[in-house]
Amino acid sequence: MVREMAGLDEGGPLFAQVAERLAGEIADGGLAEGARVPSTNELAAFYRINPATAAKGINVLADEGLLDKRRGIGMFVAAGARATLLARRRAEFTGRYVVPLLTEATRLGIDADELIALIKETGNEREGASL
Amino acid sequence: MNTMIKVARYHLVQPVLFVMLPLAALAFVFAVNAARGGATFRGGLAVIFVLFFGMGVQRIGRWLPFGLALGATRRSFYAGTALLGVSMSLVYGLVIAGLQAIERATGGWGQSVNFFQVPSLPLNGPWYATWLTSFVGLSLMFVYGMWYGIVNRRWGMLGLLAFLAVQVLAVLAVYSLAGLGRHFASLSALEMTGVIAGLTVVCLAGGHATIRRATV
Amino acid sequence: MTPAISVTGLTRRYPDQVALDDVHLTIGTETITGLLGRNGAGKTTLLRILAGQEFPSSGSVRVLGSPPAENQNVLRRLVLVREDQVYPDFQVYPNFKVSHALRAASFCYPNWDAGLASSLLKDFGLRAGKAIKSLSRGQRSALGITIGLAARAEVTLFDEPYAGLDAVARQIFYDRLLAEYADFPRTVLLSTHLIDEAAALFENVVVIDRGRVVLDTAADGLRGMVTTVSGPVLAVDSFTQGRPVWERRGLGSQASVVMVGQVSDDDRERARSLGLDLTPLSLQQLVIRASGGSAGAGSLTMRTSA
Repeated sequence: MVREMAGLDEGGPLFAQVAERLAGEIADGGLAEGARVPSTNELAAFYRINPATAAKGINVLADEGLLDKRRGIGMFVAAGARATLLARRRAEFTGRYVVPLLTEATRLGIDADELIALIKETGNEREGASL
Repeated sequence: MNTMIKVARYHLVQPVLFVMLPLAALAFVFAVNAARGGATFRGGLAVIFVLFFGMGVQRIGRWLPFGLALGATRRSFYAGTALLGVSMSLVYGLVIAGLQAIERATGGWGQSVNFFQVPSLPLNGPWYATWLTSFVGLSLMFVYGMWYGIVNRRWGMLGLLAFLAVQVLAVLAVYSLAGLGRHFASLSALEMTGVIAGLTVVCLAGGHATIRRATV
Repeated sequence: MTPAISVTGLTRRYPDQVALDDVHLTIGTETITGLLGRNGAGKTTLLRILAGQEFPSSGSVRVLGSPPAENQNVLRRLVLVREDQVYPDFQVYPNFKVSHALRAASFCYPNWDAGLASSLLKDFGLRAGKAIKSLSRGQRSALGITIGLAARAEVTLFDEPYAGLDAVARQIFYDRLLAEYADFPRTVLLSTHLIDEAAALFENVVVIDRGRVVLDTAADGLRGMVTTVSGPVLAVDSFTQGRPVWERRGLGSQASVVMVGQVSDDDRERARSLGLDLTPLSLQQLVIRASGGSAGAGSLTMRTSA
């Protein structure tokens, strides 16, 4: 029985999952630019993992330039980090969502026009539901 | 040295055991004998010597494992424990000498009792001789007991039997060697004390050597 | 930087068996390492040798730079918590109490924190005035853990320290260990067979089987390394084509394959489209396979230098 780790799982390296979650928070705007990122110990306590693992996760983002280190104070979200992450997600969007969508559509015999119509229709429904 | 102090402090987390136990044993035996009546209690004093032997055994048998866990080395544990035992022997030797003096002064506690005197052993002389002999005797009992405790730790019951066998053989050898048996009987009190001191040193060296590879 | 623990060619022989066989191991300072393996694998022997409580038959052992046996300088910076610790608790009166054990520890460990000890006693519901001989197995474990953590020793060794502790108490132990480690980093070596519970604590894991080290690697390096792929036979075979496989089971039109190698996002997508289920093996399952010498475990043998 694995210890409950606030959503982390055994599917891959924990440090990578920590980095992903932080990146997600930045991209979603939960962590604003210039805001302080939780410390290694805070993350370790929250996820109930080894502080070194948490530190590694933070370093991944720092190495990518998404976090600034301010000596003695901590890690802060770098300027432009959100934009970088969103751009990255956009780039991945095509490969991760559009391609499989087209593949599946082809398999079911749905052509491009029908697909576009479906997307618009579903989009309207969602908007209607959220009003 | 520092470690030996730590070991001594460890043994003394329950000081009562060191202070009360020998006194209580003495008082108990004294009271039992007093209740029975009679002028001379032979061997009553032996109880404290036996007790010191038992304490030596226990301090190794039950106190060594946690002592090692707390970071003492085997040799420092041995030295610290032996130091404590010898110090206690010094104190209790004085207690015995003191009680003997009182017994004499009061004419046997007012009833011609001879508890603190054993004619056949060198405990009949002046108070300082009693002190010295008791001190050496109690020390021997303690470190002798420690050695038993160590042998038991390392080799168990078989080891203890072998240990005893070796000693019996040694004693037999010493006694059968021409004239030594009679020689012993004619030793003066001081010379006897010297022999006991020598045996104590033998036990100290032996125990110290044997504990080096003891495991807990 | 000198490693905290450095072991070369360590062998420990007993008359009836070889407990440790040519063990090589290096553990860095300020890490938490899991020492894993089956009962009787040799974990306890290794820990006791590291703590100077047992002697090697051959090989070299260095803790904090020097051999630990009979070495005061090393031993006062080290603590070993054993599940079978013997206390001087035999006498009829007066009883050797929890408070006595803690007092003795307080002047033997230079970094001892009495406040932490009290706090841990409270967490575990253990009274200081209780006689040790009247403690249950779980309470004895709690005492051992209390001493082990409050000692704040540079090298802290735990040998399955939770005998008799229920799941809640074990969580308290893990949480307190992490918190203490965060405040006062030290070298921790924790031997356990409840691997999944403690898995997230470990930076590195060392697996011992029958006296030999069969795995010595970063814990994160193992996570997600081996995956069970299950679903329709053809899809499974197509998906696992060309990848190292440990085991294959089949039943009718379904198959289940244990596959080695990290699974990428593309892989996941492909599996989804093929209707396959991907389940990563947990650390515990990985260790089980590494012990017991099952085929394929060798491909996991990775050694990282500390």
